[in-house]
Amino acid sequence: MHPIEETKLAITRRHFFGKSATGAGAAALASVLQGEAKAATGGLPGIPHFAPKAKRMIYLFQHGGPSQLDLFDYKPGLSRVRGEDLPESIRMGQRLTGMTAYQTKFPTAPSIFKFAQHGKGGMWLSELLPHTAKVADHLCLIKSLRTEAINHDPAVTFFQTGFQLAGRPSIGSWISYGLGSENQDLPAFVVMVSQGLGNAQALADRQWSSGFLATKYAGVKFRAGADPVLFLSNPDGYESGARRRFLDDLNKMNAMKLDTEQDPEIATRIAQYEMAFRMQSSVPELTDLSKEPDHIFDLYGPDARKPGTYAANCILARRLAERGVRFIQLFHRGWDQHGNLPGELPKQTGQTDQASAALIQDLKQRGMLDDTLVVWGGEFGRTVYSQGTLTETNYGRDHHPRCFSVWVAGGGFKGGLTYGETDDFSYNIVQNGMDVHDLHATLMHALGVDHLRLTYKFQGRHYRLTDIHGNVVKELLT
Amino acid sequence: MLIRALFLSALPAFAAEATVEFNRDVRPILSDKCFGCHGPDATAKKIPLRLDREETAKGDLGGRRAVVPGDAAASTLIQRVTATNKGLRMPPIASGHTLSDKEIATMRRWIAEGAKWEKHWSFLATVRRPQPTVSNQKWIRNPIDAFVLARLDKEGLKPSPEASKETLIRRVSLDITGLPPTPAEIDAFLKDTSGTAYEKLVERLLASPRYGERMGIRWLDAARYADTNGYQFDGERVMWRWRDYVIESFHRNKPYDQFVREQIAGDLLPGSGLEQKIATGFNRNHRANTEDGIIPEEYAVEYVIDRVETAGAAFLGLTVGCGRCHNHKYDPITQKEFYQLFAYFNNIPELGRAMKYGNSPPLVPAPTREQQAELAALDARIAKAEGALARQSAATKKAQQAWEQRLANERPVYWAPSTLRDAHFDLDDALPAKVGNPVAAAGRIGNAVALDGMSYLQIPMAGQFDIDERFSISAWAWRECETCSVIARMTDSPTGKGYGVHFKDGKVLVTMTSNFNDDAIRYESEATLPARQWHHLAITYTGSRMAEGLILYVDGRPAKTKVLLDTLYRPFRNAGRAFSEPLRLGAGNGKEQRFIGRIDDVRVYGRVLTPDDIAGLALGESLNEIARKADAKRTATEQRQLHEYFMDNAAPDAARKQWAELTALRLDREKLERTFPTVMVMAESTTPKKSYLLNRGQYDQPRDEVQPGLPAVLPPMAPGAPNNRLGLAQWLTDPQHPLTGRVFLNRVWQMVFGTGIVKTAEDFGLQGDWPSHPELLDWLTTEFVRTGWDVKAMVKLMVTSAAYRQSSSATPELTQRDPENRLLARGPRFRMPAEMVRDAALHEAGLLYEKMGGPSVKPYQPVGLWKELIMQDMDYVQSKAPDLYRRSLYTFWKRTIAPPMMANFDSALRETCVVRENRTNTPLQALNLMNDVTFLEAARFIGQRMLKEGGASADDRLRYGFRLVMSRLPAPRELDLLKSNLQYHKDYFASKIERTDAYLKQGDSPPDPSLNRSELAAYGAVASLMLNLDEAITKE
Repeated sequence: MHPIEETKLAITRRHFFGKSATGAGAAALASVLQGEAKAATGGLPGIPHFAPKAKRMIYLFQHGGPSQLDLFDYKPGLSRVRGEDLPESIRMGQRLTGMTAYQTKFPTAPSIFKFAQHGKGGMWLSELLPHTAKVADHLCLIKSLRTEAINHDPAVTFFQTGFQLAGRPSIGSWISYGLGSENQDLPAFVVMVSQGLGNAQALADRQWSSGFLATKYAGVKFRAGADPVLFLSNPDGYESGARRRFLDDLNKMNAMKLDTEQDPEIATRIAQYEMAFRMQSSVPELTDLSKEPDHIFDLYGPDARKPGTYAANCILARRLAERGVRFIQLFHRGWDQHGNLPGELPKQTGQTDQASAALIQDLKQRGMLDDTLVVWGGEFGRTVYSQGTLTETNYGRDHHPRCFSVWVAGGGFKGGLTYGETDDFSYNIVQNGMDVHDLHATLMHALGVDHLRLTYKFQGRHYRLTDIHGNVVKELLT
Repeated sequence: MLIRALFLSALPAFAAEATVEFNRDVRPILSDKCFGCHGPDATAKKIPLRLDREETAKGDLGGRRAVVPGDAAASTLIQRVTATNKGLRMPPIASGHTLSDKEIATMRRWIAEGAKWEKHWSFLATVRRPQPTVSNQKWIRNPIDAFVLARLDKEGLKPSPEASKETLIRRVSLDITGLPPTPAEIDAFLKDTSGTAYEKLVERLLASPRYGERMGIRWLDAARYADTNGYQFDGERVMWRWRDYVIESFHRNKPYDQFVREQIAGDLLPGSGLEQKIATGFNRNHRANTEDGIIPEEYAVEYVIDRVETAGAAFLGLTVGCGRCHNHKYDPITQKEFYQLFAYFNNIPELGRAMKYGNSPPLVPAPTREQQAELAALDARIAKAEGALARQSAATKKAQQAWEQRLANERPVYWAPSTLRDAHFDLDDALPAKVGNPVAAAGRIGNAVALDGMSYLQIPMAGQFDIDERFSISAWAWRECETCSVIARMTDSPTGKGYGVHFKDGKVLVTMTSNFNDDAIRYESEATLPARQWHHLAITYTGSRMAEGLILYVDGRPAKTKVLLDTLYRPFRNAGRAFSEPLRLGAGNGKEQRFIGRIDDVRVYGRVLTPDDIAGLALGESLNEIARKADAKRTATEQRQLHEYFMDNAAPDAARKQWAELTALRLDREKLERTFPTVMVMAESTTPKKSYLLNRGQYDQPRDEVQPGLPAVLPPMAPGAPNNRLGLAQWLTDPQHPLTGRVFLNRVWQMVFGTGIVKTAEDFGLQGDWPSHPELLDWLTTEFVRTGWDVKAMVKLMVTSAAYRQSSSATPELTQRDPENRLLARGPRFRMPAEMVRDAALHEAGLLYEKMGGPSVKPYQPVGLWKELIMQDMDYVQSKAPDLYRRSLYTFWKRTIAPPMMANFDSALRETCVVRENRTNTPLQALNLMNDVTFLEAARFIGQRMLKEGGASADDRLRYGFRLVMSRLPAPRELDLLKSNLQYHKDYFASKIERTDAYLKQGDSPPDPSLNRSELAAYGAVASLMLNLDEAITKE
């Protein structure tokens, strides 16, 4: 905990133990407050199951389905078959979305963007990712992910919860349920959403909900503006000193109630009000970027000075990580290039490339990359054939669940590694295929969690993030 | 002593049980730790040993028996779970399960005691056992207490004393109405010292409409009711008529069996009326996907599965959904049986892709009671007006005959339907909005426009209808082209957006298109219409967005058509963009398909013309000609036309005035009808849909066909019952059904006591928790059935029990011994559900607007919450007072972005069925209560009430406010604290006027200007403190 906060809390405790609460209620209260402090360091007993490589995770979710063909999965041979129909031997009757199912032609569309090799590992990356290219040796690029879903909402739900159906806990909820929080002043699971320039698809609160786990494990959404957390700010005209007095009296009255009722929920409530008060100072302090030095803003790029942008959120992600927040998830929308991909995609990478790379560099320079997982990826990939007409300068791509790319950096993942292979059309996986559940299992493994053993009984069943699937892909780990 | 701690998993540290009971003690272990492999799905996995069945568990499996009754050592079950060899030891390490020593000891003891096997308790019929004898008969107020006390006796515990009257009235008011009592109500109750004071109070509360709302909201959670479709786009739907059905049903105490039957099969019940049809909306409350690229068949299957899972949890308390992909791992429900249940809910004419905006078929217009009354009143006035006209018909008839004589020789006039005409182009004289060179030519009626394949007419403001509106179009056409547009409002292209009537190879082609590929209605006439002669063409459209609502008439009669596509789901206006194409005559399908020939007398109506109207228009005969015919030679249509025209134009003044009134009334009726909300309902397909077992639950992997059927473990349907939803509904509500009554009463118990008798309210299966009071649950259920499934009687029974009336204060020992209060040695105490927290604050503030039913409202919500996450065109437009202050169950529920205060306080999220109440305690709740404008404004109004109603002194005012919120007077030390807090806030606000001004701005309703502002702010701040107290948001 922050030393100032610690002092503040101590004063608070003295304050109401000294003046009001007596007897058994006070004892219960004391034990709850101690419990809260203890709970800050751990989640479930026995977890982590083994020594973790990573302590926390920053998940940069690229919402809409970034095109692997134009960013990561280099297919030089495609230019020779440009415009030709995707061979049936490749398509193999796979289902299509309703958006291209009516097309009579499936013209092969090579990427219009140039690729080059980067870093010691010689990782192929597109010219749209010049900054990412600079940190290539920190990236573990998985080119062979596949998913079950072909439409946004179920596909994101699948990535976030391991199921396409609604109602299951999100990955961040599972992690905070299992590992708990490292910070008493901030939630264990924080979500931030930024608006891209492309075709933005809707997002649902469900994507960070706690499902059947207790609500306290749900992601807390931080928003740009005066109230980073809903209802965080005191009303106009009501200053912090007044709030402190308000809470002191509130706590005293609640403590009286605790004395008569002996309901431990009352003690918990007192503790939660104290945490709320701490959040009122810790969150604004956290989200205030004014003290970040210029060179940091320069690192993350010009957008970083604009609150609510992806770049600003990346700085916030680092600040949250520094403060021990367990799971930080950014959503960036707009990766859904059904049409005009050559025009739209550079706008998206223009918003994300520099800041994503900066986050890696920034964590590295602070010595935090080793124990922080950074994940970059969307819910599915895009088709090699053009949606709509293919021209010299233009094409679009439909959703493609059968193969796509995601990178992971830090936290015990091998830097500079390119893992998995797709066929010449980036349509099917030919080597080292990985399911979403496998990725989940491997990420959890890095956090010291055995995905088979982090379970919760609901509807008679012991649920886990990986459903009944998931293999840890050890090749990815150092 | 070993056994004593055994039941920790099911119930906390309670006293020793004399014997091991298979159902209570053993099966939960087997189910949780063994059934995953050795359970109902074992056969499919080719594992011979099944521990879910007595015959295999005790049977001879090649010389070995898992369970040898009376001989634990000889039982391989015990041998294997105690094996020291890790390779032999069960459960296997890879399963992730382990057995504790206590669990092994229980199994050992059960076998030693004879290994008595029982069917799972909840599948057995209820048994009404006599009330147990208890230590203190005087404590017993009703039979509930006997069962509760018997258990306490066994545990060596004593009940707590009765709660104070103030606590009781608050508790029971919250439980029955969801609202705290007013000071006047408290006073009346305190004053009533009669022995029946409490019963009278309960009766009063049960009679309140607020009771229907309180019960209703939990039903909405189970039914996953919401105001939007969910999934990605999450557009609005209109299901509040179903929501109001639920509230009304509870309020009017509809017997629960009837309530269930109506919701499952209201459309199939004998004598089914509108109310029963609305009830079937239960099965349409599931999410519905409208995303562009989805494969509709996939979601058509998802919806049916959702219905099965929801019915499973809501009515049966079973997790039948596990059977979707494989045989249930724990409960005796096979995958095939899952799809047999699926078959009951599959035979509905629906599409997998839902309407992007509004309701998806099948649906019905569902006028509210007020609208029904208004309609009836209008109909009565219409009948009266018709009667008045009929009475003077002899005189009128005479006048009409005289008029007809004259008419025969006058210039031609034509009849047309009169009301809600949108546009009329007789095309006789000047031609409107010409493109190219349209010219006049001889028409069917007067002149027509002649078109040459390049020219057309373009009329900007006509026919601006969208796919959810009613309209009709009528025109005469003389075609000299094979494939060409007659009339259309389209983005001028063969695959364009909009609606149109065209010719295609001489057949009539009707189109209504949002996306040509997969989002359109498209059909053509079976017959080819001969060219070079006049045909009358008309379409009428009900706004149903289905081909069946879009009717083509050719020459006055409905045409036989062949449907090419019937999957319309998006309106023309889309994603915030208006659709402003003009109406074109002779164009619509692009340059290649311009009309060649003549078009005449185009009429556009903003309503659905009747077949008779169309037949009349298609007559194309002047009234003069009709008048010349002998009376007996005229057809009914001709007679009608003459009469209507006469009444409109030439009848004697008095009759004409009455006629005009009648016409106006009929127009009012039309207008009223189109304000009716619709509701999505269940209906049976005329051509039965086949159902299949779906391999791994995948829509595209059908295996064997299945027929509707019930799980074999449950009782069969009554002989002769129809094997459809109706039969299913009757079966569910059979008085002997082992689950329906238990499951529902358990949830009522949960509402009242905080935790169900079966804690896992969603799971009465083998993995569910053992009931805390199994005999009580059975007794209650038999009582429920005996009273005719009387829900109010059951609520009354619970809240008048001595168990309920206990004080909720605990001792440290009791808190430790029974933290969840399952034994009921004290009264219930738990945080109020989300909606109750808000409703109570509004009520205490005097702001609550107690209106029952109607469209959902949008109370305060932080600005921008929707905008941050949605795609387009659906912003949160906050309601105005008094709709800001409706009860929370009327709050507009957007599935993907739930109302934040509700979500903060653990409300069900309405994406899937939720029947268990969830309660957490988080800092976000604290922030919500302290800083949400909802609670700040409520606090200000409580402050205002203190100043205006609380008396003259600070003490009195604070007492008054405290009592508004807590339903009791503050203790002296509480009052002292409040006083000191008030003084602090008085100084705080008085010292800086800016503070007061800013603080009082919270909320839309302004403060009373007669009050001292800084004083009001100070009282408001103290009221806010009161609203934040644990007690304020707790039912105790």
